[in-house]
Amino acid sequence: MLLSDTFRASIRAIAVNKNRAFLTMLGIIIGVASVVLMVSIGKTFQSYIVGLVESFGSNTMDIAPKGFEKFGGNLESMTFEDYDAIRKLSTVERVVPVIMVAKSVKYGKEEVSPMVLGGKKDIFGNYGLKLEHGRLLDDSDDEGAKSVAVIGAQSALDLFGNSDPIGRKITIGDGSFQIVGVLQTMGSFLTQDLDKLVFIPYATARSLSGQKYLSYITLKTVGDPELAKQDITALLRQRHKITNPTNDPDKDDFIARSAKQVTQTIGTVTLGLTLFLALIAGISLLVGGIGIMNIMLVSVTERTREIGLRKAVGARSRDILLQFLFEAVSLTVTGGIIGMVLGAGFGWFLTRLAARFLGPLTFILSPSAILMAFVMAVGTGLVFGIFPAKHAASLSPMEALRFE
Amino acid sequence: MSFSSLIQTVDLCKSYDNDGVVTPVLYDINLTINRGEFISIMGPSGSGKSTLMHILGFLDLHSTGKYLFQGQATASFGDDDLARIRATRVSFVFQAFNLLPRTTVKENVMLPLLYHPTIPPSEREERTLKAIELVGLADRKDYYSSQLSGGQKQRVAIARSLVTNPDVIFADEPTGNLDSASGVAVMQALQKLNDDGHTIILVTHERTTAEHAKRIVHIRDGRIVSDSTDFQRAIAGKTEQLK
Ligand SMILES: Nc1ncnc2c1ncn2[C@@H]1O[C@H](COP(=O)(O)OP(=O)(O)OP(=O)(O)O)[C@@H](O)[C@H]1O
Ligand SMILES: [Mg+2]
Repeated sequence: MLLSDTFRASIRAIAVNKNRAFLTMLGIIIGVASVVLMVSIGKTFQSYIVGLVESFGSNTMDIAPKGFEKFGGNLESMTFEDYDAIRKLSTVERVVPVIMVAKSVKYGKEEVSPMVLGGKKDIFGNYGLKLEHGRLLDDSDDEGAKSVAVIGAQSALDLFGNSDPIGRKITIGDGSFQIVGVLQTMGSFLTQDLDKLVFIPYATARSLSGQKYLSYITLKTVGDPELAKQDITALLRQRHKITNPTNDPDKDDFIARSAKQVTQTIGTVTLGLTLFLALIAGISLLVGGIGIMNIMLVSVTERTREIGLRKAVGARSRDILLQFLFEAVSLTVTGGIIGMVLGAGFGWFLTRLAARFLGPLTFILSPSAILMAFVMAVGTGLVFGIFPAKHAASLSPMEALRFE
Repeated sequence: MSFSSLIQTVDLCKSYDNDGVVTPVLYDINLTINRGEFISIMGPSGSGKSTLMHILGFLDLHSTGKYLFQGQATASFGDDDLARIRATRVSFVFQAFNLLPRTTVKENVMLPLLYHPTIPPSEREERTLKAIELVGLADRKDYYSSQLSGGQKQRVAIARSLVTNPDVIFADEPTGNLDSASGVAVMQALQKLNDDGHTIILVTHERTTAEHAKRIVHIRDGRIVSDSTDFQRAIAGKTEQLK
C-alpha cells in the first residue's frame, strides 16, 4: 500500500469515526490545557513575587510596634528617640520614621481615604517608589513642616481625573496641602496598594495627627539583614528595658521584618500553590488519559473487525500498523496542540484579568511542563491507539473478523 | 506436476486451540479444484464448511497436511506472501457481509484496490464503478452501508470481491441472510463471474443455490463424505468417491 494511501485511509477513518476522534482529542485537550494553564499561573504568580522583591529592594526592613498590623499603627512603644538611636547603628542606613495619619483626603467634592504616610525623604527610595512628575519631598519640607504632599498615581486619578494635580490644594484632616509630586504607577505590594498612598513630611504629620509615637520605622540594611536585625533587636530591648535571653519574640514589644523575609514566606506559599495547581493539573491529565484509554479500548472491537477485513482483502500487518499510527499521531498531536493553545490562551487571559488588580504581570509559560503534559497525553493516545491495533494486526484475518 | 491445479489439499487437518482446549474440526481433507470450476460445499451446521473455506482462502491456517495453491506449498508462505495472495488471487463474500461501517458503497468496493500491489491508483475509480455496475448498484454508489438492504449489502460485498479480478471467489452462504428474490440476484451475479472464467467456491445450505454449481462437495463432521459432478446424486448426498 502506498504511503499516501495509508495516510488517506487514516484521515478517512478519523472522519468516519468523528465521535471517537472528538472524544479522544477532548481527553488530550483537557489534559494538556489544564497542565499548561495551572503551571503557567503558578509560574506567573511566582515571578510576580520575585519581581516585587526586586523592585521593592530585598534589603528594606520595617520595625513596627508589636500588634502594628492588628491595631492600626497607634501602639505607643516606638519613640522618636528610638529612631535616633537606630539611625546611629552601622548596619543600617536611610532610616525613616513614619507616622500614619488616619484622616480622609478631599479635593472639592471628591473624597478618598488613602493611607497618608508622614515620612522623611528616603521613604520613597526604601519603597522603590519613583516620581512621575513634579518633585519628591526633601529635608527642607520636613524642617519647615511644610504643608506639601506627594501622591500615588491611583489617588491622583481618583481625585483629579486626567487633569494635572501639581500645585493643587487638597485637604487632609484640617490641613490644606499643596501637591508637589505624583508617583509612577507601581501596583500593589501584598495587600497594600502603593498607588493610593499619599506622602507628607514627617514633621507635618506629627503635628497634624498629634501623635507622640511612631507608627513604624523603615530602613535599608547594610550588608547581612540578619545582622542588622540583631543589632536593632538588642538596641530596642535595651531601650525598652526588655530582658529576653531566650530570644522569645512574644516578649518583645516590636517586630523587625525584612522585605526578603516576607517574600520568602510568600515564596514558600506560592511554591505550595504551584505544587497544588500542578497536582490538580496532574489529576486532569490522568482523567484525560483514562478517557483516551476508554475510548480507544471501546473502539477496539469495531476496529478489530475492520482490521480483519482489511487483512482479508490484502492488507499487510505494516499497512495496518502504519494506518493506526498515522491515525493516533494526527489525533493526539492535534489534540495536544489545541490543548496547548487553549491552556496558554486562557492562562494569558487570566493573567491580563489579574493584572487589573495586581499591576503589571508577565505571563510565563513553562516549556518543560508543557512538554511533559504533551508527551504524556500524546503517549497515552499512541499507546492505547496502537497497542490494540498491533495486537489485532498480529491475528489471522479470520480471528480478527470473529472478534467480539 | 506439469499442469498444476488451482487448489489441492493433501490430508489437510484443522483443529482450533484455545488456551489448550483443542477442538479438531477438519480431518484428512483431500480436495483438488481446477481453474474455472463452480463448486458448492454442503453439509450440516458445524460440519466445518466455513473453516475449510477460510483455510483455502488464506484467512486462516491449517494445522497438519498440505495445502498447495497453484502448485506451491502454502506452508512456506510468509506473512507478506499471504497478504499478497489475499490481495491479488482470492477474495471473499462473507455470510455477514462485513462491510466497513459508516462508509459508502464506493469506498467499500474500492477497499481491496488500496492494497493491490500492481493495479495503479489511476485505474481504481473505473474498476470500482464497473464492479458496482455489474451488481446493479450504480444508483446506490454513494449510499452508506447502513442505508442498504441485506441483499444490496451482499451485492456490494460481491462487487468488492470481484474488483481486483481474483482467480478464486469464496462465497460463504452469500444468500443465507437474503429473501429468495435477492438470493437469486446474488446467485446470478456469481454465475456471471463463473461464466467469465472465475473459479467460484460456494458454501450453502440451500438446494436451489447449490444448483448453480457444477460440482458439489458434502462435508459431515469435518470429513468429505461425497464429491460429485452428478448433480442428482450429489444433492441426495450419496457418497461417491471421485479419484
Ligand atoms: N475459533 C474456534 N475455536 C474453536 N472451535 C471453533 C472455532 N471456530 C469454529 N469452531 C468449531 O468448528 C466447527 C466447524 O465450524 P464451522 O464454522 O466451520 O461450521 P460450518 O460448517 O460453517 O457451520 P454453519 O453451517 O453453521 O456455518 C464447529 O463445531 C465450531 O464450533
Ligand atoms: Mg459457516
